[in-house]
Amino acid sequence: MQRNRSKSVYVICPAFNEARTIVGVLAGLTGQGYEIVVIDDGSSDGTRRVAETMAMTVISHPVNLGQGAALKTGIDYALSRGAEFIVTFDTDGQHRPSDIPRLLDALVRERADFALGSRFLGGAQRTPVLRRLLLRAATLFTAVTTGLRLTDTHNGLRAFTRRGAAALRLRQDRMAHASEILAEIARSRLRYVEVPVTIDYTEYSLAKGQRAGDFVMILLDLFAHKLRR
Amino acid sequence: MIAQALLSVLLGGVLVYAWAEYRRSPLVGALSIVAGLAGLYFVWMPSHSTLVAEFVGIGRGVDLILYLWVCISLTVMLNLHLKLRAQQETITKLARSIATANLAAAQEAPAVTAEEAPQPAPQPAAADAHTSRQMRGQSA
Repeated sequence: MQRNRSKSVYVICPAFNEARTIVGVLAGLTGQGYEIVVIDDGSSDGTRRVAETMAMTVISHPVNLGQGAALKTGIDYALSRGAEFIVTFDTDGQHRPSDIPRLLDALVRERADFALGSRFLGGAQRTPVLRRLLLRAATLFTAVTTGLRLTDTHNGLRAFTRRGAAALRLRQDRMAHASEILAEIARSRLRYVEVPVTIDYTEYSLAKGQRAGDFVMILLDLFAHKLRR
Repeated sequence: MIAQALLSVLLGGVLVYAWAEYRRSPLVGALSIVAGLAGLYFVWMPSHSTLVAEFVGIGRGVDLILYLWVCISLTVMLNLHLKLRAQQETITKLARSIATANLAAAQEAPAVTAEEAPQPAPQPAAADAHTSRQMRGQSA
């Protein structure tokens, strides 16, 4: 059952200047039966070339657009290819491929359309204090603005059914896409579930991750999005 | 009187712009209309600006005008930000179309084997470096 289902599972890997880590990330994803799609978001460090050598489907943005835009490109592509399940997976090495089956199983078992990874459920983790505080604030913000009761709102590891992915109307190119995805999940009124996943923090992933100032820009982006028709 | 006429023309232009902008961004349009009308009012009733300023606790009428001007400037900045975002969305759609079209073209193109690939003509030593730089640029 797992093998048959994997044939229609598309793993979307947005990548911007991830040549250092993408080989290890893609190596961990291969051999599982997933269709792996790398979205090279205008990298200048050879990320695209590295991914292409691993015989992946690589879609290259001609210029850097942002992670939200890369995810949207990947989701659109997967839907056009008939994907039944779509997984979003960061390429900075912080996610574990072994968590993907748990997300997919949760979708099937709970009859949900969205499975959202949470670093704050289950297993132990060493989330840096400042990041933990920011994520808690984001959780509160999400609860107030969308009504979703979540423990982790900015986790890049997610899985959608085809119906769920098609229901998402994504317009945020940059980091505000994570909040936008949650707002769209709330708007869709489709079923969602949180699944415990592990985040492996490294100096590299922390340096590439969001900073406190990014949350200000996220709020500004979300506010601006509301103003314009 | 000359200054009043000139300012009236300028503020009339602001109102026309605000009305046109209202369709795309109602909040920005409404703020601009309020600011423009307030400006027109105070241009023709300058003594009222002091009355209103005293009423809202600012003190001098000229300070009230200054604060209104700051509000107008911030509104314009916000509107510019929104327009830049709209342009970015257009660029994103274009870039996405190019990216997916390139992928489709690459998938449809027949694979070229080493034997089928055209053999490069011998190049002088000085030209080799230039050619290799161009190739790197194309594949990046």
